[in-house]
Amino acid sequence: MSVERRGPRPAEARLRRLLVMLPWLMERQEVPVADVASRFALTEAEVVKDLELVSMCGLPPFVDELIDLYIDEGVIYVGVPRLFIRPLRLNSIEAFELLAAGRAAMQLPGADAQGPLGRGLLKLARALGEDDTGVLRVDLARPGFTNDVAAAVEAGAEVRMEYWSASRDASTTRVIVPRQLFSDRGEWYVRADDDRSGELRTFRVDRIETMAPTGRTVTPPDTPLPPPGEWFADGSIRRVTLRLAPAARWVAERYPIDDVSPPDADGYVTVRLAVASERWLERTLLRLGPNAEVLDAPELATSVQATADRMLARYR
Amino acid sequence: MADRVERLTNLLALLLETVEPLSLVAIAGRLHGQYPDGQTALRAAFERDKAALREIGVPIEQTIVTGGAEAGQTRYWIDRQRYELTDLELDQDEMRALQVAMAATRPGSASGQEAMWKLGAGLMEHGAAIAAIIPDDPWLPTLREAIAGRTQVRFTYRDIDRLVDPWGLLLRTGFWYLIGFDHERDERRTYRIDRIEAAVQPVPGSTFERPVGFDANEAFPDDPKLIGADPNVPDARVLIDAHRAGVARREFGDDRVVTAHEDGSVEVLVPCANMHAFRSWLLGYGEYAEVLEPTEARDAVISWLKAVAR
Repeated sequence: MSVERRGPRPAEARLRRLLVMLPWLMERQEVPVADVASRFALTEAEVVKDLELVSMCGLPPFVDELIDLYIDEGVIYVGVPRLFIRPLRLNSIEAFELLAAGRAAMQLPGADAQGPLGRGLLKLARALGEDDTGVLRVDLARPGFTNDVAAAVEAGAEVRMEYWSASRDASTTRVIVPRQLFSDRGEWYVRADDDRSGELRTFRVDRIETMAPTGRTVTPPDTPLPPPGEWFADGSIRRVTLRLAPAARWVAERYPIDDVSPPDADGYVTVRLAVASERWLERTLLRLGPNAEVLDAPELATSVQATADRMLARYR
Repeated sequence: MADRVERLTNLLALLLETVEPLSLVAIAGRLHGQYPDGQTALRAAFERDKAALREIGVPIEQTIVTGGAEAGQTRYWIDRQRYELTDLELDQDEMRALQVAMAATRPGSASGQEAMWKLGAGLMEHGAAIAAIIPDDPWLPTLREAIAGRTQVRFTYRDIDRLVDPWGLLLRTGFWYLIGFDHERDERRTYRIDRIEAAVQPVPGSTFERPVGFDANEAFPDDPKLIGADPNVPDARVLIDAHRAGVARREFGDDRVVTAHEDGSVEVLVPCANMHAFRSWLLGYGEYAEVLEPTEARDAVISWLKAVAR
């Protein structure tokens, strides 16, 4: 679901927007069209069209008098309001969005239960009929260095870290400037300018073994970061196709996939999976065992078998 | 024909302002010329408008006339108290904090943006430096409402139709869980919401009591190896090579390390009542871990590896 959209707007969407726009305008009474457009993600032409339309609305005997509003020289003027003074109540989806977002944000490093978010959330929860905060919880368990990374992000601080790389199965020392910290699918990641590669790289926070600031701070570049959650959409990351038994279908829910087929008669699905590291894939295949089959990379199947052999050697 | 937004706005205004419930005929009369003439076309157009208003969240009340010449007729109105957002009395900094929270955890959510507009905030910003991705699920809003209103729900899970007292929701390890009391099973249960199979249906008129002091956070252990943990099943003893000993220490804490060998390898105690989760965890260590005891756990791992090695 995205706020962005183009093309003709359905009547429902236009009315929905009007019902949040009108109370806001009535409170202010005099607002430039341009301000309304940018605040409500509309073009100026759309704002003018819809406001002129509602200014024509009315019921006998008050035709044209429902909403006392006119637009002159790019400024909207609103008279004494009678209706639509308050926005429409929150629907169940919006209520959930607000509470879940608030509770999740309370779990981010630096959140303060006594601060404005904590106070605002309490008022919100009460208004939405929640009598106990324990009924809607977000748990974003933070590995050891999460708070240090958060502090570095806030300060633009360069840090030196020892990082265990799953793809090499070895620890390396790196100097990075953390720019974004985020939690996704139960793991914490840091996106950082990486000294070693000279690129923006994503690291898993639970694989940081030591971390200390170098004392240098770096002003972040103006280039905006792509939204978290799209870090695996990079086309350069290798894909493999797996056939998964019902017992292994959790893979499609847990890891980044491009697509998943509908289940066949036996409940098997085929997925295309983004593989950031072959080592990781090998471990995953080992865990899936007979419940997964690699369809397009025979060499991987062979290497998984070889690892299983090495592991078995320990038990002989 | 007039723009549909005009008709919808007029209908909304009419139903908000009316002092008594209105029949469809009365509505069409007051909105003269805006609805088509024939009975069938009028009914169809009105139903479409009613659905559109309900879709955006307008609570349209209806009542059926009993007795008299108009018995059976449906009449409509909107209760302004129910229509309007109650004033949350948010201070500016609280509103700002909620907006930042939304941008950090639900960027790009159309419903989230709509909610912020209703509260009086502006357009959401993007690119929070500290963020969390919160997964979506179509049943979450319905379940939250049922939890707050103490209404029972019905849904299908693992092919079984269930009647559940919904106690709470928890997001953990990237998944949403519902914790509640299952009346078919007659016990407290935890369900992964993305695995709910058929529509979640609130049961009208039902109610239940939630246990005093219930907290979803403490409702079930966060380590999958502990789910279904049984105090009667002893922990497994696992040897971890020096190479990965530090990781194991960080994962379990020093008090689970029972032996530290001179070569740097360690022996740790790991719950194994949930054999499936235990095996999965062990295999994540690849060839750098070996389960020493109990025999059942050791055998389970060996037979799994044999199946993979072929």
